[in-house]
Amino acid sequence: MKALYTAASGMAAQERNVEVISNNIANMRTTGYKRQRAEFQDLIYQTVRRAGSLTSATGTQVPVGIEIGSGVKTASTARIMSQGSVEPTQKELDVAIRGEGLFVINLPDGRTGYTRDGAFERDNTGTLVTMDGYELQPGIVIPDTARSISISEDGMVEAFLGNDSTATQLGQIQLARFANKTGLESIGGNLFVETGASGNAQLGSPNSDSFGGVMQGYLELANVNAVTEIADLIAAQRAYEMNSRVVSGADEMMSSVSQLR
Amino acid sequence: MENAQLIGLSRQIALKRQMNVVANNVANINTNGYKAQKLLFEEYIMPRAADKVFGAQDQPLSYTNAWATINDFSGGPISQTGNFLDVALQGDGFLAVQTPGGERYTRAGTLKIDNSGLLVDNSGNPVLSEGGQIRFAPTETDIRFNEDGSILTSEGNKGLLRIVEFEEPQILIREGSNLFSGGEPLAASNTKVVQGAIERSNVSGVIQIAEMIRVNRAYQSMAKMMERQDSMRSEAIGVLGNPSR
Repeated sequence: MKALYTAASGMAAQERNVEVISNNIANMRTTGYKRQRAEFQDLIYQTVRRAGSLTSATGTQVPVGIEIGSGVKTASTARIMSQGSVEPTQKELDVAIRGEGLFVINLPDGRTGYTRDGAFERDNTGTLVTMDGYELQPGIVIPDTARSISISEDGMVEAFLGNDSTATQLGQIQLARFANKTGLESIGGNLFVETGASGNAQLGSPNSDSFGGVMQGYLELANVNAVTEIADLIAAQRAYEMNSRVVSGADEMMSSVSQLR
Repeated sequence: MENAQLIGLSRQIALKRQMNVVANNVANINTNGYKAQKLLFEEYIMPRAADKVFGAQDQPLSYTNAWATINDFSGGPISQTGNFLDVALQGDGFLAVQTPGGERYTRAGTLKIDNSGLLVDNSGNPVLSEGGQIRFAPTETDIRFNEDGSILTSEGNKGLLRIVEFEEPQILIREGSNLFSGGEPLAASNTKVVQGAIERSNVSGVIQIAEMIRVNRAYQSMAKMMERQDSMRSEAIGVLGNPSR
């Protein structure tokens, strides 16, 4: 009974759908989180009667064939890399990107990570680091004596040192972009790493070459929309239920056969 | 007497097939761009060893035979996603994509850009414009798909999406992965492109479940009928085969 397995593939797909949705909802308040969406595709078809095959010696053809599908598969859980809304935080080292680009982070294992989470702190040497203590690239060191740190829209970090009356430039934040940013791999901790599918990172300064600008004192919220997530959750749940009805329907059919004398 | 059983069997085979079609529809109830299928049956009159001599006694036997799965190409609900690479088609057209096996057609417009900047579908097949593949430079922003299928970016006009329509879409062959093949593609005349939206599956849960229940009951009643046939026969053997009565 093929229907049984077809419906089982539907249940598995919807289960995955609910997993993705629940992760979106769990990360509704995660800074810089980008929502994922499960996308599905139908599986191959079994052709019982092929359209276009001859039905007589005079050349008449089967107009429409019989094709019986075998269910559904999850094609991707693509991230929707749209801009999240920005929230003012009053914190001078909070930075949000408005537009294209990701912050570049040195990971402790030597790889380079990319993130939209711009909640930075200073470590014991004054270097700008993420919440996990990973260094922002290029390393920007803010001396102890710095006052009123300002980060301009093009990423230039400036501060007044000691009793100086003019600001000193401490470095410029770099952003990275990818040909296919949905192809980045998520490694948790709000971080992405580059993959073969994403292409190589192209670095640049904020506000140049179609990179977005940075906003000091703001954080980018998750781009999760509670209403759409809940609507998707309901749809997924109902679809799961319907597939399980088909499983029991197929089961009933089989049992009526097995009870034949 | 066996005829009744064979006819019942032909009906059961057809119903089982229909159940598979229903199951596939329900499994794809959340598949973007999926089109529901319907199984059609025909009466199949069995050629019989009829002779004019017994003409009056021999009744024609009609078997059930599945003859086609037709596609319900009605539009699915279009839902807004706000994702600029999501493209829904309003009307009868299909997007053309290039696969290793040739040109294929799809209604699933959840497009992506791959690592070389090529516009691809969910399986990585390049989406075609009237001038071939569509490639975006890394610095291009503001990708817009207009209603007529033209693609505009910060670097200007990138051509026209290849959207095709079919005079007789029923002959399209399902390839899986939301793709269709075959047919004679014509340039689209009444298809509109909607950016930032996707077309959901056009499967209706209510209809499919109702259909499933109907198939189920029909199947059970066939099973019952075959059971009765069987007891009739065993009774006949019991009565007729007993010489002492």
